[in-house]
Amino acid sequence: MSAPHPRRAAVTGIGVVAPNGNSTEAFWKATSEGVVVLDRITREGCEHLPLRVAGQIRDFDPPAAIEERYLVQTDRFTHFAMAAADLALEDAGLSRSDTDADPFSVGVVTAAGSGGGEFGQRELQQLWGKGSRFVGPYQSIAWFYAASTGQISIRRGLKGPCGVVASDEAGGLDALAHAARAVRRGTDVMVAGATEAPLAPYSMVCQLGYEELSTVAEPDRAYRPFTTAACGFVPAEGGAMVVVEAETSARERGVPVRATLAGHAATFTGASRWEQSREGLAQAIRVALDEAGCAPEEIDVVFADALGVPEADRAEALAIADALGPHGTRVPVTAPKTAVGRACGAAPLLDVAAAVLAMEHGVIPPTPNVFDICHDLDLVTARARATEMRTALVLSRGLMGSNAALVLRRGAADAS
Amino acid sequence: MSDRITVEELAELMKKAAGITVAPEELRQQQESGFDAFGLDSLGLLGIVGELENRYGTPMPPDAEKSKSPRQFLALVNSALLAGA
Repeated sequence: MSAPHPRRAAVTGIGVVAPNGNSTEAFWKATSEGVVVLDRITREGCEHLPLRVAGQIRDFDPPAAIEERYLVQTDRFTHFAMAAADLALEDAGLSRSDTDADPFSVGVVTAAGSGGGEFGQRELQQLWGKGSRFVGPYQSIAWFYAASTGQISIRRGLKGPCGVVASDEAGGLDALAHAARAVRRGTDVMVAGATEAPLAPYSMVCQLGYEELSTVAEPDRAYRPFTTAACGFVPAEGGAMVVVEAETSARERGVPVRATLAGHAATFTGASRWEQSREGLAQAIRVALDEAGCAPEEIDVVFADALGVPEADRAEALAIADALGPHGTRVPVTAPKTAVGRACGAAPLLDVAAAVLAMEHGVIPPTPNVFDICHDLDLVTARARATEMRTALVLSRGLMGSNAALVLRRGAADAS
Repeated sequence: MSDRITVEELAELMKKAAGITVAPEELRQQQESGFDAFGLDSLGLLGIVGELENRYGTPMPPDAEKSKSPRQFLALVNSALLAGA
């Protein structure tokens, strides 16, 4: 597995729609400056629920980003996905005419964990309020996990291999690994990532049973992983799509290789079994490093899962130490998601976007609202830290028991 | 409410059910074109059929949702309305 692949999978474009920015540039500025956007949930029908704080996207205007015929047949999570895909393709220098020239060479893969709850709720209200004849046909596609992949491919006319990963929060990383495999098998370009919209009333009620959910009402105290004040996580909406492209294709097109997807692995240790997630996450890290041909000491920064549940935080800190050895307590670790919340399967995508941008800028974004770490980690807390980085490790775990690790190398792989 | 579905009403339904903006005059002139030329997919047409059934309180012919063109669709649904009247 450590032999170099003939077709390396590179990141050539990034598109972000997040609570702290509706463009990649705005996202990075807010992320690197540690701007906290967690706030009281104000969405209609949600104010009375015990879940009080989340990362909401407030200034995204769907009709400005997406044609009406696609808006009427899709949920908010797919609106984010289509908008982020546009941004990623534009960032990669791939216009509509470029992708039309060889549509079979461009595929799509997304991950989703929450689905189209807002759309689904509206149609279910029609069903029980007025009757089955008042449920629109687009209900049959809009609320399923697969909707974003399908709509991105239809809207952009992309005819390459398509897929959907539904593997919990860590599925965001698995989707990128799926894209990397498609590239290695011969597809030139994959539009890959995850977006979520779990802040509609129905979707929120579905989450209330999770004991890991923070119900703290003060935004600056609701999500503080790795501290003795850890009280669970807060959800978020949005996400990111990236263009995963064969390095050879990027070179032929003359576009920069931002990073390479060097190694990935996923494991499963069972729902809410956080103590066991230590072993699963450590194993995912080891296998991902092995695939990347990467020694533990080469990891320059770790983007942590940072669930914010004491038992889970402890397991993650120990997993990093188990897999990276003594380097695990020295390597800078960050969790910028404390500024925006955890966007289900899209949470690790925001971390991947931040990791690539961090390596490019030589700046590790901070972990806002987190002080007094109670684990043996070098967590980058209040302020960003300037440092040269070549390799980043992104970690993710899901409430249902998935664990995943992704190794990213900055720039073109053969430059190292 | 008219007992016949007009091109104007079809244009309004295409907007409401499928988010497609088309001027009635354009729809009238291109009645032979396929619905796909306007960007209307099969689920969108199915939604229009459902909306008509709710509005007029009468079932539409099963083939209505399989119509290829506005002319074919209007002929089918209007014959059903005429028969039900």
